[in-house]
Amino acid sequence: MKTTLILDPAGALTITTFAMALSILVVFILYYALKSRRVRTSTLYLSGEPENVVSTPTPSIASMYWGFMKRFAKSLYRILVEEVHTGSLHDWARFISSWLAILIILAIIIFIVFVLMG
Amino acid sequence: MFIEVLNGIFSIIVFPGLVFLVALGFFTQYLVRKFSARYQKRMGPSYVGPAGILQPLYDFLKLLRVKEIVVSRYAMPRVAELFLVIGIGSIVSSVIFLPLSLFNVASVFDVLIFFYLSSVMPLFMLILASLSMPSPYTNIGVSRLLSLVTLAEPVYFACLVIPVYLATRGKGVFMSMSSAYATVVELWVKPETIVVMILVFIAFIISIQVKAMYPPFNIPEAEQEIIAGFETEFTGPLLALAKLLHDLDLVVALIAGTYILLGGPAPFRHLSIEGIILVVVKYLLLLFIVVTIKNIMGRYRIEQALHTIFKYGVIPVIVAAIMSSLI
Repeated sequence: MKTTLILDPAGALTITTFAMALSILVVFILYYALKSRRVRTSTLYLSGEPENVVSTPTPSIASMYWGFMKRFAKSLYRILVEEVHTGSLHDWARFISSWLAILIILAIIIFIVFVLMG
Repeated sequence: MFIEVLNGIFSIIVFPGLVFLVALGFFTQYLVRKFSARYQKRMGPSYVGPAGILQPLYDFLKLLRVKEIVVSRYAMPRVAELFLVIGIGSIVSSVIFLPLSLFNVASVFDVLIFFYLSSVMPLFMLILASLSMPSPYTNIGVSRLLSLVTLAEPVYFACLVIPVYLATRGKGVFMSMSSAYATVVELWVKPETIVVMILVFIAFIISIQVKAMYPPFNIPEAEQEIIAGFETEFTGPLLALAKLLHDLDLVVALIAGTYILLGGPAPFRHLSIEGIILVVVKYLLLLFIVVTIKNIMGRYRIEQALHTIFKYGVIPVIVAAIMSSLI
């Protein structure tokens, strides 16, 4: 005997929610009644490699930088190699910041001297 | 009222709900293995039950009743189980919108609810279950799966929506699965809609192939290359649940295709012998096409797969959608 209910979308959603809850409950009961219960914990399967090979879950920033520069920004990489030799913006920033630190120290000394001299 | 509630519970638990879907899922898996074996000059399942028909059930029970479950140190098997059970539950509950259900719910735009329950939820539950059992292979498999479904799910969605829209425009309940199947057959004979249906059919086969993760789109599990991809860490009962979810996903997608694309029992009545035979033949035809593609093609690389889905899935449904809006 076939029953066809023609409902509004909200009614259909309500019935679907009940249907989903019922089916989840039945599957859950059947699954837990049938499944094996003995559990053994093992190490991560890494094709025989030790776990420390995945100690960093994401690639390092440097790897991502080099991947981007060498694959997608070849012309920019060439310019950087010509200008900064290593081709790394990080090296350039470090070089500039070392000069910046000297400039800051110099500025502080001049400021102190200027204050002392009145 | 009481009879209707009983009918609803029977539909969800027995036919065409949990029991029927699981049985059909095992039978479909048996046919996939048997057809594949024939393509590869092997015997396929042969020993458990008549002609090996009970082999998938035996495999399922063997995984479920395995001596001990092996889980890795960082895994959350209970969470993975929960996600997989929710995925199976959502697929089972979607059958109340299918015309073959004894307790059939029809509503305006119910195709959207059906798509959400039968396709989006199982996929996300599978992904979340995989991520609950972490491993580098799992992460790669899930990222590949997400890349593929970003294109394939909209294609599958369009393959359901376009025929339902054309079939229910001005007839029955608008955008309803159970109203659509009776008039879909007419779309295959009208000269203005036959091209749309052919395009949708091609795209549907591509999207099913991706959903089932069968070659050439078996990139997320990529056996040998990334061990077993997203299901590398699934063992014992968890693997049984994941395989069952995969089979149910394929079964419901094929049933949806049988009804929404090919018209189900039409032009015969639903409960007639001819109608039942026609539904079975259409289901087997779709399955045979999917298994044939599975066996004649090798695995694509991810960018080749995306290109193929775009070429034979996305473009046909875009053209079909434009044509159907102009008809």
